[in-house]
Amino acid sequence: MLAVNALIDISGLHYRYPGTAADALAGLDLSVAEGEFVAVVGPNGSGKSTLARILGGLAVASGGHRAAVCGHDLLTEPGRLAVRRDVGVLFQNPENQLVAENVEEDIAFGLENLGLPASEIATRVDEMLARFDLEDLRHREPHLLSGGQKQRTALAGVLAIPRRALVLDEPTAMLDPAGQVEVLGAVARERENGLTIVLVTQEMDEVLGADRVVALERGSAVFDGPPAELFARPQLIADLSLGLPAAGEVGLALMQSGRRFVRTPLTIDELLDELVGSGGTQLTLGGVSEHPSSADDPAHGRWEAHTAADSPAPAGDGGEA
Amino acid sequence: MRTSIGQYYPANSPLHRVDPRAKFVAVVALAVALFTRDSFAALSIYGAAALVAFVVSRVPPLWFWRGLKPILWLVVLTFVAQALLARGEAFYSLGPIHLTKRGIELATYLSLRLVVLVLFGSLLTLTTSPISLTDALAWLGRPLRRLRVPSDELALMVTIALRFIPTLLVEIEKIMRAQRARGAEFARGGPLRRARALVPVLVPLFVVSFRRADDLAMAMEARCYQPGIRRTRLHPLVARPSDFVVLGAVVATIVAASLV
Amino acid sequence: MRIECRNVTFAYDEGGRPVPAIKGVDLVAESGSTVALLGPSGSGKSTLLMVLRGLLEPDAGVVVLDGSVAADKEYAHRQREIGLVFQEPETQLFATTARDDVAFGPRQLGWPADMVDAAVEEALDLVGLTGSEFGERHPYSLSGGEQRRLALAGVLAMRPKMLLLDEPFVSLDPGARRDLAAVVRRLVESGMGLMLATHDVDQAWSLCDERLLLVGGELVAAGDWDFAGAGAELLAAHRLRTPFFVELWRRLGRPLADAPRTVAMATEALR
Repeated sequence: MLAVNALIDISGLHYRYPGTAADALAGLDLSVAEGEFVAVVGPNGSGKSTLARILGGLAVASGGHRAAVCGHDLLTEPGRLAVRRDVGVLFQNPENQLVAENVEEDIAFGLENLGLPASEIATRVDEMLARFDLEDLRHREPHLLSGGQKQRTALAGVLAIPRRALVLDEPTAMLDPAGQVEVLGAVARERENGLTIVLVTQEMDEVLGADRVVALERGSAVFDGPPAELFARPQLIADLSLGLPAAGEVGLALMQSGRRFVRTPLTIDELLDELVGSGGTQLTLGGVSEHPSSADDPAHGRWEAHTAADSPAPAGDGGEA
Repeated sequence: MRTSIGQYYPANSPLHRVDPRAKFVAVVALAVALFTRDSFAALSIYGAAALVAFVVSRVPPLWFWRGLKPILWLVVLTFVAQALLARGEAFYSLGPIHLTKRGIELATYLSLRLVVLVLFGSLLTLTTSPISLTDALAWLGRPLRRLRVPSDELALMVTIALRFIPTLLVEIEKIMRAQRARGAEFARGGPLRRARALVPVLVPLFVVSFRRADDLAMAMEARCYQPGIRRTRLHPLVARPSDFVVLGAVVATIVAASLV
Repeated sequence: MRIECRNVTFAYDEGGRPVPAIKGVDLVAESGSTVALLGPSGSGKSTLLMVLRGLLEPDAGVVVLDGSVAADKEYAHRQREIGLVFQEPETQLFATTARDDVAFGPRQLGWPADMVDAAVEEALDLVGLTGSEFGERHPYSLSGGEQRRLALAGVLAMRPKMLLLDEPFVSLDPGARRDLAAVVRRLVESGMGLMLATHDVDQAWSLCDERLLLVGGELVAAGDWDFAGAGAELLAAHRLRTPFFVELWRRLGRPLADAPRTVAMATEALR
């Protein structure tokens, strides 16, 4: 399946860890167009992290029919090295990505590796400090930063090198709710600026703003479509052990006990809509809903709402129960 | 939280602003010159130079004292040993102890020389951040690349190690507390028992560190790092006229000391 | 077991400079009760737990364990009856088999070998890592969630009467969070006293009957205050959300006192 203007064009990708019996990636197909925001979800061991590393040119695939990223061939060494320049990768552990003695030096690291002149590096570092709200932390040492600050610094360092695409491997998994909002907000802003994004995650509410979701199970894709379609398949969500906010867990439980909902709710408003809308038990709403229900696409708009600075957590009013 | 290891005292003095390469070369030269001539006159010139530099550095005296404290025992030992072991006409005797004029002179000279040496060293470490010092050593070590010594990579390794020291200290404390909560005792018994008691701390520390090394290597590659590349710097070392002035002053000091 | 804190104050010593962590904290926690210690990062929750367990000595105030204080002979013994599980406790795993690691605590307590073995098997069962399947596995061969449960087993094997958990769900994938929550719930149901330090309001609601709100090292609220009215304002003032089920019940116009604590209870009530 060759997509026009495909920034990432992968077909039949295989990866096997040396010394293991099964493929971590088994014939994976993936295509991402320029400017797209694709979320990759799946349980532990489904191959998500492996995929992230391969997309960044940081791991060597065992084989594949076609593996092109930004026009470079992932199956050759020169191709992989070229991909590292065009594709940025942000990892899960903020601590283990910072190498320098302070924030500005760390952001400069990638540019120093490219051999750019000091004045150019300085300009770009100033730009990144402003863009990721790190100006006050310019001379701060890494161990004095909060988790969210560390991850934003790492992100600034990754994007200091101008990139065509950004791959994120569960970037909020080790952050507290405040940090999660900071990082997801930063990613959302980059997305708005047209950066192609591949977000690997296990949290369903991070998938909300994506154009497409690809669900992996044991190394191959079992779903590839808009988030709304995935939300309409509660059994698949349950099978993949995806992290639903409380509204989703309640919704899922109700659906499994016979209630018929249009789709898996992710927020309290959606749950209320489904409860009131699906008839049955008489339910009254005590207060006025602040977000009137609408049948529109759960993507985009809600991604913004969830990453607004005043909401304490991207899970909306959900969270684990 | 007090962050720097060693003795770096951040300030904005003329000495702090001197290129770390010049400072390093200056201190090495002075240290060597200090030992090539045995005369109180020469020593007093070096001592005076150290005091002048200490004033210019704007580092509080307390910090120099802190640098001196660890080797104070050596200074005292040197003094006592020389005073007791020197040959010559004793002017005071008590049993086996004979104090000679020459002995006292020698003891004073050697102890003071040790103090001046430490002062020079402290001047370097108090006014130069560990990272700057590493950069200086990397630059000075460039010629070694011809002998296949990876000086730039070594410098980067040192920089990264220094960056993680505060992190490691926090992690060690956390692991020790967690094991203490499981009944581990680190301060009991003889050396062998204490060493064994550290296993529940050292094993996790090693595991964390190896995992960190893996993650870090990948993160660095993701930012286009490769061993052997020629890296530029955000804040490159730039030699200024003032640096040469300092080197000149050092040469003058050494010359003066060799002439008295 | 009954833990009491009276006006406890503690500051860290960082290079001679005192960094205050908790100030004038009063609280009571006992076996059979479940207390959530809520508060944003840096509010002193971890410090308070360490003081309760005796890893840190308060600068002022007293910690009373079952009526005894630090000067008393039985105090140290009481301290050993409190189990403290740190944040990301899997970093403390060091042995070559799961059993060996879990056995560390009981062995340090000087128990005879058969008592140690029994405690280890019991603890492994409690966390869902049955000895026959997991006992001889190398800790590092386990998944993140399994490692965390193994670390918990290491503390449970010492047969504590009270369990202090510091942010137990952080950095876990969704499946592992569910598994761990189930383990904690089972422990609570069997009578274990629990103090849970967390910044997750929903977890606190789901697992604990009482809530303490710690802000800047000071206790701002305590007891089983409900989240309506003044409680909700308090939370909002400190940038914490109202628990999901409380909010859901409020929007449905149902009495907040009946708000369910778990998904299962909510599903029942909404059917």
